[in-house]
Amino acid sequence: MTDVMRSGARRHYSVVGDLARVEDMDTNTESVVRVDGLTSRYGRHVAVDDLSLHVARGELYALLGTNGAGKTTTLETLEGFRKPSAGRVAVFGRDPGDRRTVRPRMGLMLQEAGIANELTVAEMLALTGAPSSRKDSVDRLLRVIRLEHRRDTRAAQLSGGEKRRLDFGCAIWGTPELLFLDEPTTGLDPEARDDLWEAVADLREREVTIVLTTHYLEEAERNADRIGLMHQGRLQAEGTLEQLVESYPSRISFLAPEGVQLPVPITATDGALAVVETDDLQRDLHRLLSWADAERLELERLSATTSNLGDVFRTLARS
Amino acid sequence: MIPIALAEGRMLFRNTLVAASAVLIPLGLGVFLAINAAGGSLIAILQVVLMAGMGVYVTATTTLAARRQSLFLKRLRSGSAPDGQIVAGLILPAVVVSLVQVSAVLIVLAVVGTPPQNPWLLALAVVVAHLMFAGFALATSGVTNSPEHAQVTTLPLFFLATGAAAWVAFSGFADATWIERLVPGGALAELIALAWDGGDMAVMPLLVVVSVGWGAAAAASAWYFFRWEPRR
Repeated sequence: MTDVMRSGARRHYSVVGDLARVEDMDTNTESVVRVDGLTSRYGRHVAVDDLSLHVARGELYALLGTNGAGKTTTLETLEGFRKPSAGRVAVFGRDPGDRRTVRPRMGLMLQEAGIANELTVAEMLALTGAPSSRKDSVDRLLRVIRLEHRRDTRAAQLSGGEKRRLDFGCAIWGTPELLFLDEPTTGLDPEARDDLWEAVADLREREVTIVLTTHYLEEAERNADRIGLMHQGRLQAEGTLEQLVESYPSRISFLAPEGVQLPVPITATDGALAVVETDDLQRDLHRLLSWADAERLELERLSATTSNLGDVFRTLARS
Repeated sequence: MIPIALAEGRMLFRNTLVAASAVLIPLGLGVFLAINAAGGSLIAILQVVLMAGMGVYVTATTTLAARRQSLFLKRLRSGSAPDGQIVAGLILPAVVVSLVQVSAVLIVLAVVGTPPQNPWLLALAVVVAHLMFAGFALATSGVTNSPEHAQVTTLPLFFLATGAAAWVAFSGFADATWIERLVPGGALAELIALAWDGGDMAVMPLLVVVSVGWGAAAAASAWYFFRWEPRR
């Protein structure tokens, strides 16, 4: 692992075998990924607009967003596949396009990446690992991705979910310092998703920094240290889950009995359900239930939920 | 580079269609020509250009287009291997297979007929032909969306090169020499004829320069046209 010193702005490079190690002495080295004012254009279309973010060492940062929000463009820029139209992007303090020094420290699970159908699972893993300076073994990875039984199966015969697991295995060869997971669980069944997150948890114990995009908001809620929400090319909100949802009210919904005066104000409706949006769920739920007990009423289809990422996301998408 | 080349070689031979076009068709053509035609240089010219054209140019263009279409190129590029090594690894199996085939056929031709007057010049021509076709394969793959599309995009250069080779092989190069030499493969064909039959070596430097020039043009066009990802 590269040692990091916080003081000074000098950088020192030392080459060990094929692995170019960057001993970064930048002031921002705790940020493994740092983006300042990133703008990406396709012709006249601005895919990413003045985006700034940073990802600290050992952090799991989830970049979420609506369709076409610019997540993949952002990720591809961080991965070194795309040059920014404007702004500065640094990974380990270096230009991510610097394949010689930056790429050996990264693992990439792309949203779409080809698997050679003529190669077997073991051959694909070995091919990924061969140019890498990180040491690992095909057998270990087969165990992690639970594809031991498919070791000698050609990729053409794998299911979509199995191919995705193989993608993950290729990305984590040799435990990279920085791992990009672009929609890692798309196409996986619930058990395979759990297996993948278990493997991610194991990587986090080894202080691997992870940048994640996913459409499964509950995965981001459960696993991310911080979440960035993109919409129309801009980072609209960023923070921990608690920070993001704190300004969004909790909800109590139920079928309101007719002809009665409720103890809490109804703020919205959801079909036939009355919805009470509240900043103090415990207080208002207690008030409602106490009132229902006193009135000997049964509140049908009663549910109470705290605000979640879905609320934030939907509000963002509607904005 | 070697792991990528080995993997590519495996894939080449596991895909029946590609393996057939890379191995059987050029070899079959070679055997047919060797059996049915007379004259050492004539066969040598057609062998080298046809086999390198089919085995390297068409095969590599097809496989590169397929690898890009399936995003396998992007996957390779997501690893830590440098771009140059990835490209070399992808092209190497087709080049090696073709070189082995060409060498085998030329050796048989030399044994059963008249041997070449200048084997080193012949070797140079064979190597330059392979480098030129490899470069043009990279370039052509950049404008080829799919393996099926490669059957169309490779036709112009393939016919141009084989046409120039046939021109030299069957007509000699007395008429309109400068046109024939400007066509990719024309000067190469002349160089092979000169290496096999001997003759006025004064023209040799010019032929070498033009042939190497086409190799350089192929490399430059590869640099300009080659793409790692499908066009969006």
